Amino acid sequence: MDKEKNQPRQRKQKKPKSMAYRNAVAGYLFTAPFIIGFLLFLLVPLMQSLRMAFSTVKFEGGIAYYFIKFANFKYIFTVDAEFVPLMLDELWQMIYTIPSIIVFSFFIAIVLNQEFKGRGLVRAIFFLPVILSSGVLVGLETNNTLMQGLKDVIAETSNATSITDVVKSIFFAEGAYMGPIQYVFDAVDRVYDIAMSSGIQIIIFLSGLQTISASMFEAAKIEGATAWETFWKITFPMVSSLILVNVIYSIIDFFVRSDNEVMNHIKDTMTASVEYGRSSAMAWTYFAMIAVIIAIVSAFISKRVYYYD
Amino acid sequence: MSILKKRKPNRSRWGDLFVYLVLLIFGWFFILPLLYAVNSAFKPLDEIFLFPPRLWVSKPTLDNFADLFVLMGKTWVPFTRYIFNTVFITVVGTLGHLLVSSMAAYVLSKYKFPGGKAFFTIVVTALMFTPQVMAIPNYLVMTKLGWVNTYWSIIVPAFAAPIGLFLMKQFMEQIPDVLIEAAKVDGAKEVRIYFRIVMPLVKPASLTLSIFSILNLWNTRASNFIYNEELKTLPYALSQIVSGGQIARAGVSAAVTLFILIVPLLFFIFAQSSIIETMASSGIKE
Repeated sequence: MDKEKNQPRQRKQKKPKSMAYRNAVAGYLFTAPFIIGFLLFLLVPLMQSLRMAFSTVKFEGGIAYYFIKFANFKYIFTVDAEFVPLMLDELWQMIYTIPSIIVFSFFIAIVLNQEFKGRGLVRAIFFLPVILSSGVLVGLETNNTLMQGLKDVIAETSNATSITDVVKSIFFAEGAYMGPIQYVFDAVDRVYDIAMSSGIQIIIFLSGLQTISASMFEAAKIEGATAWETFWKITFPMVSSLILVNVIYSIIDFFVRSDNEVMNHIKDTMTASVEYGRSSAMAWTYFAMIAVIIAIVSAFISKRVYYYD
Repeated sequence: MSILKKRKPNRSRWGDLFVYLVLLIFGWFFILPLLYAVNSAFKPLDEIFLFPPRLWVSKPTLDNFADLFVLMGKTWVPFTRYIFNTVFITVVGTLGHLLVSSMAAYVLSKYKFPGGKAFFTIVVTALMFTPQVMAIPNYLVMTKLGWVNTYWSIIVPAFAAPIGLFLMKQFMEQIPDVLIEAAKVDGAKEVRIYFRIVMPLVKPASLTLSIFSILNLWNTRASNFIYNEELKTLPYALSQIVSGGQIARAGVSAAVTLFILIVPLLFFIFAQSSIIETMASSGIKE
């Protein structure tokens, strides 16, 4: 396509079936079903909820919208006591959860990529949380009791929390600087949650690791590179584009997970207080926040991503 | 000893030990929920209410399942009807989702056409939106289409789920352009390339996608769009059974969890070797 732009003469000849034309036809035909579905079931509802965000919604026979400008947004920021603190809390949690998920899943993917006995079975086990967490247990409300019971069992058997508590108290007694250490403790306390939400990320990293050709490692070895150097000079750059994919996926997954406090608040505003306008305004604010975060993060990371070829 | 023979030459015995230790610790974490769900289903009532709860069942019983089957027999509509509904929705929805999203992913990753990139950006952005808020607008769309109280209200939106397009496109981008160009030189048309070259190459990805779609549809309660009892789904019916009798049905609830878990789990076990199979062996590696 670019070549054609540089050579306007060729364009004037009006070839009936240029490459770009054929590409475009194939492109639109193949995407058409998806686009139709997307417009109908996502974009149309999305626009309607945007309209609701700027209106008072009333049910008088049908649905009536009364345009009220930014009143809904003013309400959620100034009157609603819960929304802003919940959102900030969620943001803070994200800051330490996402890097932990990325590091953890990258580490596990590297381990799973090694040669060892029973690799198939172990990989299957590491994919289990995806099945267990995405809906099956959450879908049935009764299973909240099950999950709660499970958490108790974990606390009972692993004692992860109490161990960090002991170490923490030692550090506090020494009067040590807690800043970065606190971060580690927070992550350790949540190690189970982090492990549970890393399933997809592990698979994405794993598939990326497997596409690195073995000849690269061989070449590095012949040149006398150590395992440490090979990791940072070959493995890491080769999967760096997947780090971006995984970060974006994790951020989205984190913000729209079903036990999210902000989401619950939005849902309660809609179902319990029947304030569709306000709840839509909240959803759009939340959405805008996530979009801004992802834009910043991906701009930051994509500069450092290394693309082979 | 066979482990030692297979070992890569650049990993020490301590390295082996380290790998196994890491796998043991985290593998345990990952398998715990499943173990707990299975064990709970076989626990008698007094063990379910034990505090602090125990992971392993000490006196396994089938009572929970017996109770569940008795309750299943008492539903309004024959219980098999709920099962059929869910199976139908899951199968049709998953196949459609696979086809629609992989077709779109194929052209978006391998063809350049005006608007393609912008469209993908919009789809990924839509992933971030709070789904609950769209319940009402979605209902309005369904009413306009006349799809309220039909299977289509659940099946068709599943076709265009953004997550499938997102994941599929990531995988398709790894297919070398050379392969597709070679097919074109040999005279293959787009549809043929898609079915004969691209789809076989992304088999692991399509199985991964199927897992998500199956999980999503298998668990759908569909209480928003479907009011006709005969069209309601299995999770809905099961949750009605469980919520019917409060605490006394905690045992049944544990059995229900296992019951509903078993199908996605079986599919996963069946598909896992291909899902996590090396992309290298499928010819994608350059």
